[in-house]
Amino acid sequence: MIRDWWKHLILILGAVIVIAPFYMMLSYSLKSPGEIDRGEGGFFGRQEMMVDERCVALRDPNRDEVEAAAERFPGLTDRAVRDALIAEAEAECAMRPAVFNYTMAFTQAPLLRYLLNGVIVTVSIFVIQVLVALPAAYALAKLRFWGRETVFALVLFCLLIPVHAIALPLYIMLAKLGLTNTYAALVVPWTISVFGIFLMRQFFMTVPDDLIDAARMDGMTELSIVWRVMLPTAVPALLAFAIFSVVAHWNDYFWPRIVVTGSRELFTPPLGLREFKGDGDGSFFGPMMATATVIVCPLIVAFLLAQKRFIEGITLSGMK
Amino acid sequence: MAVTELSVAAPASRSVEASQRRTGWFLTAPALVLMGLILLGPVLVALVLSFTDYALGNPGFNWVGLENYEKLLTRSTYEKMFLATFTYVVTVVPISVGLGLGAALLITSVGRFRDLYKTIYFLPVMATLLAMAIAWEFMLHPTIGMVNRMLETGCGTILESIWPFMAKGCEGGFPLWLGDQRYAIWVVCFVGIWQGFGFNMVLYLAGLTSVHRELYHAAEMDGAKSAWERFRLVTWPALGPTTVFVVTISCIRAFQVFDTIEAFWPQGAGPNKSAYVMMFAIFEKGVQQNLIGIGSAITVVFLAFVMFLTLIQRWLVERKVHYG
Repeated sequence: MIRDWWKHLILILGAVIVIAPFYMMLSYSLKSPGEIDRGEGGFFGRQEMMVDERCVALRDPNRDEVEAAAERFPGLTDRAVRDALIAEAEAECAMRPAVFNYTMAFTQAPLLRYLLNGVIVTVSIFVIQVLVALPAAYALAKLRFWGRETVFALVLFCLLIPVHAIALPLYIMLAKLGLTNTYAALVVPWTISVFGIFLMRQFFMTVPDDLIDAARMDGMTELSIVWRVMLPTAVPALLAFAIFSVVAHWNDYFWPRIVVTGSRELFTPPLGLREFKGDGDGSFFGPMMATATVIVCPLIVAFLLAQKRFIEGITLSGMK
Repeated sequence: MAVTELSVAAPASRSVEASQRRTGWFLTAPALVLMGLILLGPVLVALVLSFTDYALGNPGFNWVGLENYEKLLTRSTYEKMFLATFTYVVTVVPISVGLGLGAALLITSVGRFRDLYKTIYFLPVMATLLAMAIAWEFMLHPTIGMVNRMLETGCGTILESIWPFMAKGCEGGFPLWLGDQRYAIWVVCFVGIWQGFGFNMVLYLAGLTSVHRELYHAAEMDGAKSAWERFRLVTWPALGPTTVFVVTISCIRAFQVFDTIEAFWPQGAGPNKSAYVMMFAIFEKGVQQNLIGIGSAITVVFLAFVMFLTLIQRWLVERKVHYG
């Protein structure tokens, strides 16, 4: 420890830089606009009650409300009743900055909807990827058929093509089919994972042939061998692939940005955050950072809980 | 590969073979169709459209020959595009690979807190890049950002006299960072490095575990006394395959940079287009301005770069490893 002090010094310095934006994001999501502006309040802010101006403005009493409330304040003029009502509104609109920021994040934009979309899109992508890749990988690894080498060569060639790079022609094709601004547009380009096929094929090569022959003896069809024999053996590899796939598509911004325009109904979490940034003014830093925190959190928390699995999954592409 | 049963040619094995052929094609068919439609088709579409003046909504198009490619080579906008892309790739790849290796070496050499450092350095890889880019934008805000506030606290201390940058900043204000053409692309590079080096570190950590202990002893016997000698003679050669892979994947990811730039500058990609990278150009020209021809030409050039890089990597790797 003592001997290595300079190593720890460098590593800690690096860690501080790595953590800084996370620290700021979380901290701003808890503070009031004033504290953010003046840079006060430490990490948590002072959490003094603050009045939400928008909420008060919304409850600005009109003539009818003033008249209706006159009974509650006997002997006051209309003007005084009005003032009393505003004071009431202010009292009810006061809240802690942290609560304010997170409430705003969920009410100013349909954040829950975005999160749900994120889940729908990432899960459908993964499920379809497995449905397509697993049988193909099994065939490439364990079946002998004319043309197999060609198919595998094609898989290796397709590994060269990053989907983001061909986003423009894909977008044109989807637009021609009238599919932009649909869930299909968000999912379709990712349904084929040549990497998944390659990975699973390499994994299936290690599964003993006897296992498959025994299943054939039992009269299982090839398709049921894929799902009832091969799938269970592949669970660890699939889990790693799931993490790889889900992380990539939850965080993806480029593709949704291209095919989803306008309709908030289809926004994925990063698109939602982007829109929030677009129409926010300076006083909205707090709620915006709250939104960012909510979006980043699920994966970070999952990562902290299952670090080994995550590192395995994300670095899968290094297993070639 | 065993094809001996062909010669045996019992009727039973022939029918097994026929059924394997059928199921083989049946099981790979969905993947093949999707590969054709989603990966190979679009590459051809991009190639064809790059010779046209097509736009979405137009009934037809004209062949324009190499005009789109000519524009890429002559217009100053695209000169900026290539400059920004290469600046980014050439900066981010070596630094993030170097930092990844450095972090991996330091972490394996310290006794305590290994897992803690590893976890922290890997956090940016997991986080949504768009969100983190926005966080960095706040950090770099000229007046209320943490970075400039931190720098301001250094004013009036010794730093001011030994570091010209501080002296200048304290006198005339610290940089605008994202609003300043001189810094814009470097800030984007910084965020790219910040986000990517943890990934490289993890790959190097995996590579380091496979270096045999005995090799170090052998090197020591042969007179490699200093840590540097041991690194040069044992560690670095052993990490060769890892390095090839890490460099390639870093390159491909660096070429695809987009989120950071769109988050910082939704329009125009930086002051005076100083961060106008290729993915942003494809998005702006092809999708936003509906100039499909030129967008496709950029796509084709982009694909050429990426494929070229991957082929080099495969060539380097396949001299050692072979897919079984």
